[in-house]
Amino acid sequence: MDHVRDAPTADPLLVETVDRLLGDVSTQEVVQQAEADGWAPAVWEALAEAGLPWISVPTEAGGSGGTVTDACTVLRGIGRHAAPVPLAETGLLGGWLLGSGGLQVPDGPVTVVPGRPGDSVGMVSAGSGWALSGRAHNVAWASKADRIAALIDVDGTTHIASIPTTNIKADDRRALSGEPRQTVDLDGIVLDTDSVAVAPDGVDREALAVRGALSRVNLMAGAGERIRDITVQYAHEREQFGRAIARFQAVQIHLVRCAEEAANVAMAADTATASFEVADAMFEVGAAKCLASDLSKVITKASHQAHGAIGMTQEYLLHQYSRRLWTWREEYGNAEYWAGRIGQIVAGHGADRLWPLITAGSAELAGTGG
Amino acid sequence: MASAITFERTSETPEEQQLRADVRDFLATELPKGVVKPSLGMSASHDPDFSAKLAGMGWVGMALPKQYGGHSRSAVDRFIVVEELLSHGAPVGAHWVADRQSGQSILKFGTEDQKREFLPKIAAGKCWFSIGMSEPNSGSDLASVSTRGVRGDGGWIVNGTKIWTSGAHQNHFFIVLCRTSPLEGDKHHGLTQMLVDLTLPGLSINPITFLDGRHDFNEVVFEDVFVPDEYVMGEVGMGWAQVNSELAYERAGPDRYLSTYQVVENFVRERVDGSPSPKVAEALGRLTARYWSLRQMSFTISRMIDQGQAPAVQASIVKDMGTVFEQDVIEVLRALIDDEPSLDTDSLFENLLAQSILTGPSFTIRGGTTEVLRTVASRGLAGRA
Repeated sequence: MDHVRDAPTADPLLVETVDRLLGDVSTQEVVQQAEADGWAPAVWEALAEAGLPWISVPTEAGGSGGTVTDACTVLRGIGRHAAPVPLAETGLLGGWLLGSGGLQVPDGPVTVVPGRPGDSVGMVSAGSGWALSGRAHNVAWASKADRIAALIDVDGTTHIASIPTTNIKADDRRALSGEPRQTVDLDGIVLDTDSVAVAPDGVDREALAVRGALSRVNLMAGAGERIRDITVQYAHEREQFGRAIARFQAVQIHLVRCAEEAANVAMAADTATASFEVADAMFEVGAAKCLASDLSKVITKASHQAHGAIGMTQEYLLHQYSRRLWTWREEYGNAEYWAGRIGQIVAGHGADRLWPLITAGSAELAGTGG
Repeated sequence: MASAITFERTSETPEEQQLRADVRDFLATELPKGVVKPSLGMSASHDPDFSAKLAGMGWVGMALPKQYGGHSRSAVDRFIVVEELLSHGAPVGAHWVADRQSGQSILKFGTEDQKREFLPKIAAGKCWFSIGMSEPNSGSDLASVSTRGVRGDGGWIVNGTKIWTSGAHQNHFFIVLCRTSPLEGDKHHGLTQMLVDLTLPGLSINPITFLDGRHDFNEVVFEDVFVPDEYVMGEVGMGWAQVNSELAYERAGPDRYLSTYQVVENFVRERVDGSPSPKVAEALGRLTARYWSLRQMSFTISRMIDQGQAPAVQASIVKDMGTVFEQDVIEVLRALIDDEPSLDTDSLFENLLAQSILTGPSFTIRGGTTEVLRTVASRGLAGRA
């Protein structure tokens, strides 16, 4: 498979399975309760029973197998149902890291370090094992995970570490979404040699950043689609001045803008996912994350404006999705970060090759044409 | 009740990739960069020689059937050629409307004789069309046209005025929407489309100067113009449905997001080196990401057309997003430079920027205003498209 036309497309059966499963368990009430509890164990159990958290992690590494596209299909469903569980972290990110290092993929949830591009966690050889130091920020569900899969630089060599969470010190920090994004203090944690491996080629912070961005793009595409559906439905039911507010042109503009950009993010997510299957797709994933992060503003602004005051209440479900977009848009590189990187590529690639870059993306950069 | 507007990802086949490469080679030879001044999107120069050469390559009238001199190519193939032409700033003005919509309308609604008369000439790049829809009192409310055709001996006697008729002074024909039976009840009934020779006696073509001094627009006045029955297109009284189908071809193509692409390319060429400031890099990255996703959506629409679907709502939203974007591009670039743009400059970038500032407001008006497009899209969202 060397061209995006050969990349798989979302499996309709998987889309339906995930929607049905999450429609039953990740209800508005469950998502709300998870804000108090830190997550939704029942949602995790249902997903784990179906093997869904480990999709794209090879079976020989302890995963469920399947493609990255399949994993992204599940993440779209997580976004569409605001499921408050570390699915991206367990499979596409953490499972990938552990599996790549030949480390055991546990049965429970996994999370990932570094959470922020600037995070620096250190590791030195100590006796027959390794001693960790440093602090990681915005670690998703650190307290609920069995293991933290960490990428750690040791004298210029990237290592993968599987850190048990039993003794870690983590604060109670939550993101705007209400989901845990904790500060984790790793000073004094000691690992045995079996929990650490040298990262193979292609497994590094850059690769994690691209995978992380791909996970957020798919989550955001799912949430964007749901916000569109909620908003269009509300505007056709809510009546003012004797008719549905969707009949007013001023409101229609909000509905259309929301639907347009939801479709835009979904298209970008699909294209980025397919490109990732065949190549180093930093260009497509970065472009998609830049768009999704920027367009979160349009989608949430238009949908909240169409709803009026009810959209600002905890009892109405819109906030479960808008708050997630406000969280995900900053994670694994915000719009400015990815725009800056793509802009550097454009500048380096030159005016004559800008159009080929727009049409062929990573294939143009790899010199293999469209 | 509500229905989603979705796009299904597609990608190019090896044959389609080859076509793109062929068009790029052709353009590199015919219109070398730095030698020929690029046009801004579809507001392109009228260049009969270029149109004829392009037709010689088989790239005009591509979607018309071979039996009428066309090439029986797909909507995607045409999309690729058009996208390459417009991004290069090629002078497509002469054959543009005939290729995009008039030929398609004649193929769909015209008589056998009309197809034989017009389509081979269109595909040869030698028969050029204007659009005969708008009138002084009918803009977005197109069904209110008051140009009238009255029954005469063997044809129709037409009186009225068409306006904003781009290229009427250069082109050969236009397809005129007029009222052929009195307005009673539903204004969408009783409209008819006619193929009108722009040199017919009784027609006067008066220039309407564009705000930057250019002559593109015209007012076309009909005074007892006789249009023979052989030039009525489609069914008498069914013009409304036909014109809507024609509008679908007008929307969502690459012409709806590439009008200012050459400004960006020349900005990079003239003002950006290998180490741009963070501000410039972020702006370029954002623009590139938007071009990348908009063209994916537009490309998808061509594929849907080839699959026999009628993505009218998708076309409306892509045109809305695309035309707003091509305007935004101007503001993004303006914010990056400390210049006072002028048309009188040796810098191609500055000239194109100045030109696009002056023409930019038209992007979200021509071919259906933003407001009309959003109304179409909102009907689609309500499942009433």
